[in-house]
Amino acid sequence: MSGIQLLLLTGVAFICLYFVIQLKKKLLDLVLLLALIAVAVLFILWPDITTKLAQKLGVKRGADLIFYISILIFWFVVLKLYARIRQLEKSFTQIIREDALKKASGPSSNEPASK
Amino acid sequence: MPEFNHTVHKKVVVIPAYNESSVLTSVVKSLLEKGYSIVIVDDGSNPPLYSQIQNLPVYFLRHRANLGQGAALQTGFDFAKKLNPDLVISFDADGQHDVSCIPSLIDPLLNDEADVVLGSRFLSAEKTNIPFIKKILLQIARGVNYLFTGLLLSDAHNGLRAFNRVALQKITITENRMAHASEIIFEIKKHGLRYKEMPVLIVYTDYSKKKGQSSWDSIKILFDLILHKLFK
Repeated sequence: MSGIQLLLLTGVAFICLYFVIQLKKKLLDLVLLLALIAVAVLFILWPDITTKLAQKLGVKRGADLIFYISILIFWFVVLKLYARIRQLEKSFTQIIREDALKKASGPSSNEPASK
Repeated sequence: MPEFNHTVHKKVVVIPAYNESSVLTSVVKSLLEKGYSIVIVDDGSNPPLYSQIQNLPVYFLRHRANLGQGAALQTGFDFAKKLNPDLVISFDADGQHDVSCIPSLIDPLLNDEADVVLGSRFLSAEKTNIPFIKKILLQIARGVNYLFTGLLLSDAHNGLRAFNRVALQKITITENRMAHASEIIFEIKKHGLRYKEMPVLIVYTDYSKKKGQSSWDSIKILFDLILHKLFK
């Protein structure tokens, strides 16, 4: 086993451990994650598989294939994050709006609405 | 929410404001002179705008954090609903709108010809000094709005608008930032509201230009719009 393999496997092991602890109750996520981990370990131990797969798909090197797939996953994650941010913003807006409406001041009141 | 029922509010003007200078005070005063009820929404300004309008008879609401003009407008609309007005007008705080435009703006609402009236700087007979780059961007924005809604308007992003009761109840702005201008058009389309464009004068002062949107903002608006459609 080469140094890089050891390094990557340790990283994967830690990520796996972290997610297993986090996702104990979400079965589907956990299964998906374990499948990903299995593929990662497979590719790290036998990198030639990626090259064979790549050549079947018309890509020269296995590393290139991984790179292309990573870009796709990256975009997916970005979109998911945006959806999440928008959702957060919605609740945040609701809270601030309710607060503003509650503390509204009228033409005749002399007290500041809020400080 | 506190109760505000002691006066009759026929025409309510909602002014979203963020870090405005003394221009806001003169805008408010000119509106008060014409007898409009005023709702100011301070969108998390620092320092708070309360001190500027302290002695003016207006309704004042404050967001505790800055959310954006769209959010401030919706808060103003939500509050205006409690006043049970005949119509609501949105008005910019930076002094680029002219109070004298309001009577012709709300005319279609009073005659029940429309539910929403949108101000348009391009219908105005008087030539306004619209900066060149702004003109181009507004034309592009017009096209984008058309692609998204099928409504081709002469002015894409004009802050001066008027809504009757029906429109006030139906339109909900969820786009917190500047994409709300397009969202209002989506809402008009979605609820089948009758709309009309009326000429208004936009005064480009150095102050309003500084407070207004940069060209880069239009990219951000487009991005928000795509996300809006994507996650609807």
